[in-house]
Amino acid sequence: MSEGSTRLRWTSELGPEALFGGKDATLFGRRQKRARGPRMPVLAVTGFLGSGKTTLIRALLGRPEGANTAVVVNEYGEVGIDNALLRSSSDITVLLGNGCVCCNIRSDLQETLRGLFADRARGAVPGFERVVIETSGLADPGPVLQTFATDRALGREFYLQALVTVVDAVAGEGNLRRMPEARKQVALADRIILTKTDLVEAAARTQLIEHIASLNTAPLGIAVAGEIEPSFLLEEAPSRSRSAGLGGPEHTHGLYSFALTFEKPLRWPGFEQTMAVLQALRGPDLLRVKGLLAVEECRGPVVVHFVQHVAHPPIELEEWPDDDRRSRIVFVTQGLPREPVMQLFAGVSAIAATGCA
Amino acid sequence: MADAATWNFRQLAHHELDGFGGIGEGMSIQVARDGRRILWLAHESAPKNFTAVDVSDPRAPKIVARADLPQSHMRSNSLETVGDIMAVAYQTKEQGLQPAGFELFDISVPENPRSITFFDCSGPHSRGVHQLWFADGEYIHMSSGAPDFTPTHPRDDQFYRIIDVKNPTKPVEVGRWWLPGTRQGDSEPPPVRHPEGADTGFRPHNTNVYPERPDRAYLGYIDGGMVILDISDKTRPKMVARWDYHPPYHGFTHTVVPFFDRKLFIVSDECVRTEGADWPKLVWIVDGRAEMNPVPISTCPLPPLDSYLRPGARYGAHNLYENLPKPNAWKSDRIVLATYFNGGLRAYDTSNPYQPAEVGYFVPAAPARAPGGAIQINDVFVDERQIVYTVDRHVGGLYTLEMDF
Repeated sequence: MSEGSTRLRWTSELGPEALFGGKDATLFGRRQKRARGPRMPVLAVTGFLGSGKTTLIRALLGRPEGANTAVVVNEYGEVGIDNALLRSSSDITVLLGNGCVCCNIRSDLQETLRGLFADRARGAVPGFERVVIETSGLADPGPVLQTFATDRALGREFYLQALVTVVDAVAGEGNLRRMPEARKQVALADRIILTKTDLVEAAARTQLIEHIASLNTAPLGIAVAGEIEPSFLLEEAPSRSRSAGLGGPEHTHGLYSFALTFEKPLRWPGFEQTMAVLQALRGPDLLRVKGLLAVEECRGPVVVHFVQHVAHPPIELEEWPDDDRRSRIVFVTQGLPREPVMQLFAGVSAIAATGCA
Repeated sequence: MADAATWNFRQLAHHELDGFGGIGEGMSIQVARDGRRILWLAHESAPKNFTAVDVSDPRAPKIVARADLPQSHMRSNSLETVGDIMAVAYQTKEQGLQPAGFELFDISVPENPRSITFFDCSGPHSRGVHQLWFADGEYIHMSSGAPDFTPTHPRDDQFYRIIDVKNPTKPVEVGRWWLPGTRQGDSEPPPVRHPEGADTGFRPHNTNVYPERPDRAYLGYIDGGMVILDISDKTRPKMVARWDYHPPYHGFTHTVVPFFDRKLFIVSDECVRTEGADWPKLVWIVDGRAEMNPVPISTCPLPPLDSYLRPGARYGAHNLYENLPKPNAWKSDRIVLATYFNGGLRAYDTSNPYQPAEVGYFVPAAPARAPGGAIQINDVFVDERQIVYTVDRHVGGLYTLEMDF
């Protein structure tokens, strides 16, 4: 869809659902049991150099729950050390070339995962059930998120179940203060894992945890020698976890993280147009937007996910995950605070309501 | 080449059926009077007739009854249950042999199936019944020969017959239909044969009738393609539409499943030759908005031929889950479940029928005694608990699964 067009992106009177949907036609295709639908779950592990990503992945692979995992390692350096470390732990380990996953080898990642998927379907590689991507320490997670967002890339076969950011207790505080990439890695994460906590004083640890919480209230776990309960990594995040009670200041160094909730069901065209305005005007600053929506036209809740100018195809679920039937949307932005976003939603909603003949 | 591959199915149990694990195309659930859930299975070939498995706990299936065939030159292949009545198809290897027809059983005590009646379809040009549809307790719709039917070509020996079984002790034929030109005496010329080696006959395979359209029968007519009949007058079925895509395709249209509300037909071929000789055998998505002019719009994607090709084994489409109009059967007009012999059981989301998307597959490892060392997944049934039952054609028996997509 070109920007400025008034046609809706996901719903079309000319689409197959209009021709063949029948009485139970949906806006977004078959209702799914879960947000990932039938797609292959992907865990992307990010974190600064030396934070303990490889140790964490090795520990996961050593647990029964971590069996049948394909590992894709992105190296930034001449020698594939991490690849060598992981190769003994997984039946399938693929080393991406020399470079950073967010830049020159993003297409390599796509080709690698597509190849793995096809090989798996024809039985040429063991039947792995998930993929773990170890990104290089310097990677901006944004492009990785985008890669899984659209059908044209990997979104049809793969689903980014969680972006896991590893923060080491020794160097973490300094990295967060000095390095914008480190702050972004934390701000965008679905899970945050603290390592090397045994090497710092309690006060320093508390300070780091507070710093992290100011960027992101995603579930935080502490790994000891890489060991953490596998379910913390592998289970799909409950959709409400990140919207519950964002505490502390809502921005640090220009990063904003906030949640919107709506008591009444949303009308899809209004929601879509609001997001289109945000994307058109501030696309690069929408680092990540995740939501679970009550939509008037839908029976089940609708999962939405935006990364900058890219929007995942929405997924309608069969059932709500809990009794809370309110729409909730979490924003992580660069320089875009809550208030104007809220006002935009309210304004579009009011205009749409008055337009109904 | 693949040995085993599973995606979005969870295996609950595997039962090799005590050495008689070759199952045909008859899978039917009965909820017995004591509440047990009994899965009745028709065997693909002699010596066994049928096996009843208690699947109340799908993690621990147990055999409760089993019957032998009276003759080694026959096979049951197809069965259906309605309440406490079970109909079993009997087909002989050669024309003119007996017993050829179907038998009705009282299965009110699953351990002790009692014969109610045998409906004889034998004749000089008949092999009896290959497949039957029995869903409403009143009529059996079947692919069968008859003593008074002389085909113009010996391979066209079966046709569509409707049998009234409202009185199960006295089944009566009420109507029949065959492709014009396939019976001696027809005024129409016989159909042009498929090439020798690919000539599998102009005769029906599956003959499905649903309560949504009690005036329609949906036939996979083997070398004749898909046929839709108007059966509002059961004594005089009339053809409404026919979609014949052979040649260039190799024939053997097997099953037609209408997704009524979505105005789609799901049509399967049967792969009947080994080493890919009749590749590709497909599951087709057919636009049925204009009933008289069915239009194929896509096929379900399959891994390439070399992925699952094994010497002596078949790899291609066969049975579909048919949305059986019964209370203990699952219904979906979005998901297609299809069996592909060595390609296992495969699931597709047809929400966009122009681009059906594979959402799961279950290809078990070859059973130990499998001929050719290959699995040959043959048929599939899903109960209303969404437990999937799938069977191997030769030795593997029964697999129970959960869908995880």
